[in-house]
Amino acid sequence: MIVRRRRTVLLITIVLVVLVPACDWMPGRPTPAERWKPKSEIKDFNQLYAQNCSGCHGANGGQGAAQPLNDPVYLALVSDEKLRQTTAHGVPSSLMPAYAESAGGTLTSAQIDVLVAGMRSRWARPNEFNNVGLPPYSIEDAIAKGSGPGNPDRGATVYKTYCAQCHGEEGRGGEKAGSIVDPNFLALVSDQSLRTTVITGRPDMKKPDWRSNLDGQAMTPQQISDVVAWLASLRPGTEAKTPPEVKTARR
Amino acid sequence: MLRKIALWIDERLHVSKIYASTAGHSVPASAESWFYVFGSGTLLCFIIQIVTGICLAFVYVPSANEAYTSLEYLNYQQPLGWFIRAMHDWGSNFMVGIMILHMTQVFLFGAYKYPRELTWISGVVLLICTLGMAFTGQIMRFDQDAYWGLGIGAAMMGRVPLIGPNIVHLMLGGPIIAGETLSRFFTLHVFIIPGLIIAVVSMHLRLVLMKGINEYPEPGKPVNKLTYEKGYEELLKKEGVPFVPNAIRKDLIFSGLVMLGILFCATFFGPSGPEGTPDPTQIRTVPRPDFFFLWIFSVLALLPEYLETFLILTAPIVGIALLFALPFLSGTGEKSYHRRPVAFLSVVVIYLVVGILTYLGTYSPWSPQMDAWSGDQMPVKYIQGRTPLELEGALVFQNKQCRNCHSLGGLGGQRGPALDRVATIMTSDQLVRQVLQGGGNMPAFGKNLSPPEVAALAAFMRTLRAPTESPVRNSTEPAQPGR
Repeated sequence: MIVRRRRTVLLITIVLVVLVPACDWMPGRPTPAERWKPKSEIKDFNQLYAQNCSGCHGANGGQGAAQPLNDPVYLALVSDEKLRQTTAHGVPSSLMPAYAESAGGTLTSAQIDVLVAGMRSRWARPNEFNNVGLPPYSIEDAIAKGSGPGNPDRGATVYKTYCAQCHGEEGRGGEKAGSIVDPNFLALVSDQSLRTTVITGRPDMKKPDWRSNLDGQAMTPQQISDVVAWLASLRPGTEAKTPPEVKTARR
Repeated sequence: MLRKIALWIDERLHVSKIYASTAGHSVPASAESWFYVFGSGTLLCFIIQIVTGICLAFVYVPSANEAYTSLEYLNYQQPLGWFIRAMHDWGSNFMVGIMILHMTQVFLFGAYKYPRELTWISGVVLLICTLGMAFTGQIMRFDQDAYWGLGIGAAMMGRVPLIGPNIVHLMLGGPIIAGETLSRFFTLHVFIIPGLIIAVVSMHLRLVLMKGINEYPEPGKPVNKLTYEKGYEELLKKEGVPFVPNAIRKDLIFSGLVMLGILFCATFFGPSGPEGTPDPTQIRTVPRPDFFFLWIFSVLALLPEYLETFLILTAPIVGIALLFALPFLSGTGEKSYHRRPVAFLSVVVIYLVVGILTYLGTYSPWSPQMDAWSGDQMPVKYIQGRTPLELEGALVFQNKQCRNCHSLGGLGGQRGPALDRVATIMTSDQLVRQVLQGGGNMPAFGKNLSPPEVAALAAFMRTLRAPTESPVRNSTEPAQPGR
């Protein structure tokens, strides 16, 4: 009996030894996914995002130093075209670099499309914004829709209403949030970046968007334009600067 | 009847005589030790390498255009092709590793001493051949690592005075790394070196048979040229045991374990590479030699420039000459490492140095990590609760590629110091000065940063400390309580 059992064990071992290498599940087997390819041929969103974006925008599109990309409000606000353009060409005179090969970056346009589509499919929730009146994304859109250009003087009042509770009476920082009138800060951010942050807040850090600065009272598009104009007017050496659109309009 | 046939064959082939003088030869009973299994283990690896190598040669095409493709074919299409590649790959790792163990054991046990000098010397030739196999084998992949490995080898040879360029030409089979280079290395890897190994192994084994296996050394029994061989003969008569079946037992068990080890590694870790096409226009590569050459890679990276040429040209020659000369430098005397402190300490030091250099070679902290700036996430704790200016500073930190050399939260380059606690070391002014003017090994960034960027960066770095620590204070200003 024992002999027979031993034989069975032996038989099973032999079968296993012979069959195991033939199995696909062997962990050492290289999969086509692991196959080396030039960096320009990587088309996997996760890989592309991890290599190019997570340094500033955070590992999962949030909790990085820069604007979170997994914010549904931001994704509802911005068009694919704008996302693509920002990724490809960066934001001039800001810290967002250009990624398109044509602009000195390292990504092909196909890879940038993968990134844009991936951000949309992963993080956008367009259905949630069907009944939400989103403010215009840019000041150009705002002007076109009659909620711009902004007025710095009105903006100062808007600031006191909506923002001063956290950022302090004069914007120099309060208990809940830091200074937003620091000249160095203002020198590093574009007006669009200010506008985007006013609208979207920083949901990844529990900072309110334009609807929830005050309970039950969303900022109007005009108020957003105004407060951004006020902030921009505090930027050192730019007091006299008027938005180019206005100039064109005067001519 | 069968017995008659057997005897007839034996009379002509001398099978039983050969058996008696090889497998049946007697060895000292003390050689029946677990320390004596590494030689046969190395031989087993070599046999595995031959078998798997022949299998691979059925498919592999030694041409610059097709070598890479044929490896991909083996990896992804040929059933179990990847497994043979993995066996060959891991077989080579095991072979080098066990061979080094064998050599260490022979050295520590004084087995190279009289009368076994030639056994040691043939062993050194085998060491060089095996490393030659490892290097040429890496070239067979003909991927980026192979390409740059060759490039480095050629650059080293090119430093030989007067005939350097001729050696490079000979090595590469032309002025550049091309198809001829691969043919040349294929011939070395498949014909010349293996042939040499088979010949020298035969001699090595013949010497082991003729001069006997070293008895387990005992402290206080030094080797004396006049008395040793007589004493060894007496030892064999007194307590000799036949190699088969006595001494071979442990060899077989160890060989079985080696076999299982190679199978296990091949199954679970698979083959290595190919790492990327050998395209000189692909500059975004991080070429790296195979495991056993990583320590040389480290040495070359860390050598001061003025020593490079001198050491590259002399160190290998001196090293190999020392190995060859060893049995003549200390051919007699104590065998046991208990009575050879210099020998024992040399082994410890060499192991430590090579181990540390290999470790360093794996991480190459001297190289900046070129995609850390865009890929390595900022630790969330350095982001939370920061002011807008400090957040901009964090962006400057990433955007200006500080991260490629300075790690935060363990991620990033290791070329410069980690900056997780920099606020406790440098004041704002010191940070600004360091960023603008550089210093130490750091380049000056003054021309690449605008004043607001510098201010934001300094503001951010002043937050880099543990919550319980306070930032360092400028000592020229009087301390203020509560700040």
